Amino acid sequence: MGQSLIWYLKEFSRLEWIHKFLFAKTAPLVTPSYSRGFPEPTGKACQHALFCMMACPAPGAIEVVHAGDGWIPRIHKGHCIRCGLCVEACPNGVLKSGRILETMERDGTSLLFSFRISIDPDLCTGCGNCATACPVNKQIDAQLGAGGHFSNDEVIMRVLDGDVRVLHEEKCTGCKTCETSCPTRAIQIARILEGIQQPSQGSGP
Amino acid sequence: MKRTVDVNIPLGPIHPCFKEPVRLKCEAKGERIIGAELELGYMKKGIERIMKGRPWQEVMFLAERVCGICSVIHNMVFIEAMEQISGISVPPRAAYLRVIANELDRMQSHLIANFSYCYTIEHETLGMYLLDLREQVMDELERLTGARVTCAYMIPGGVRCDISREDAEHLLSAVDRMEQDLRRYAGMFSDGPMIALRSRGIGILTQEAAQRAHAVGPTARASGIALDCRLNHPTYRKLGFVPVSRPDCDNFARIMVRFDEVAQSISIIRKCLQDLPTGIIRGGGVCKEGETRYSGEAPRGELTYFIRSDEYGRIADIQIQTPSIMNIEACCHEMIIGVDSVADVTSTFISADPCVACTER
Repeated sequence: MGQSLIWYLKEFSRLEWIHKFLFAKTAPLVTPSYSRGFPEPTGKACQHALFCMMACPAPGAIEVVHAGDGWIPRIHKGHCIRCGLCVEACPNGVLKSGRILETMERDGTSLLFSFRISIDPDLCTGCGNCATACPVNKQIDAQLGAGGHFSNDEVIMRVLDGDVRVLHEEKCTGCKTCETSCPTRAIQIARILEGIQQPSQGSGP
Repeated sequence: MKRTVDVNIPLGPIHPCFKEPVRLKCEAKGERIIGAELELGYMKKGIERIMKGRPWQEVMFLAERVCGICSVIHNMVFIEAMEQISGISVPPRAAYLRVIANELDRMQSHLIANFSYCYTIEHETLGMYLLDLREQVMDELERLTGARVTCAYMIPGGVRCDISREDAEHLLSAVDRMEQDLRRYAGMFSDGPMIALRSRGIGILTQEAAQRAHAVGPTARASGIALDCRLNHPTYRKLGFVPVSRPDCDNFARIMVRFDEVAQSISIIRKCLQDLPTGIIRGGGVCKEGETRYSGEAPRGELTYFIRSDEYGRIADIQIQTPSIMNIEACCHEMIIGVDSVADVTSTFISADPCVACTER
């Protein structure tokens, strides 16, 4: 008992404690500048690369929409998890969040995207919805036939002998339109992401 | 064997002093607990099922959300498992930064666990002091990674952002301040006579019992089993890591082991900042096909991920084994038995630092 009393007296006679007791002040509630917030536009023009949408891990959090003459990324705040991957994925620096953009420019870090198309032959019915829906296919061959039958070999994929064949995987922009139009979920776009760094001279701490 | 049970006392899943949604059915004779049974399953998320078929950049965020308190280690174990599958090497600077983030996360997790215990034994003053200290740790975590809880700091082949020189200096001075505070709070806990009455000799988990129940983490280390997955981690080995352990086996030892580990984390962070190599923080590398099992030391013990990925690096199959389930079982089959009052049941349960969010995923 005596020991505790002495302990308490010691504790309360510390200068720091007295100072805190007399001049107690709660720190104001401000979000620090380095906190990753919702992505905000930097004012640079969106080039419609769609990498923000491809990188986003939260369903329906970001979409690139038409605005006037150009495109803008629109963030749906209820869905956004504030991970900042869209900021890192954008090749044109359209978005910013916290200090992600500054550190990326300082260190020369970026994310590299590549898209691969995988088709499960057991699930695919050869309906050709994917080939018809693909916006890149539409651009390449405006005369697309119903059911994904093309006469053009420059398209990403087309129906050949009742099966969907991938011809030019490298042209895929990863938009996932084929995935959403597939009735059996046979076609899947693998979005392969790689974190790379190319430090410029004189950068880094 | 026939047992005489006076009362069956159900605790939880909803009770003001019971912080986790589990039901603990205690059989008591008088107030002495002679047996206990556990009912889980109140908050199943099915997160492993959601992870399947997704690439690492999505699973990384889901893995963090398995547990709200120890999120960094889930990120780290998942990413290092993917690196092991794909043969990606990490630049040394990134490996050190990972350790710093992980140790900050461990500190805040241990501090909230100790807060929880202090709160349960009705020592709210010390509890609030610990929460205040945790807040400082969270601020440093935010300064390093950009977010307080779900940091998403590690990616295959490195980390997301570098630490600047000013931030490193800020972290060093903050760590010094935290160490002073921590020493005072740990002293308060170890010298408090009232705390000793509620903690010493209560909730005994002997070394044999801990081995039998496969206890892990601080719960096992408080029973004298100096086992820690960080011993197998290459970066920690470079830092000369030695696990903390105590032979006392009671609630007091478990809390003190956590205090010691926070102090140890501070010294690890300091050493990391001193030895921080220069160079790049992202080495690149694409995730490939493969299958692996990878373990890391979460604040609560050994965390294991079994992962199988397909040819494009997507997750084909994933299983997560979290540490809490071992400790919860050890708690209700070994620690609680023989406790003399119902008030001590909750404090004993909390001293094992159960995390039901991890357990049920």
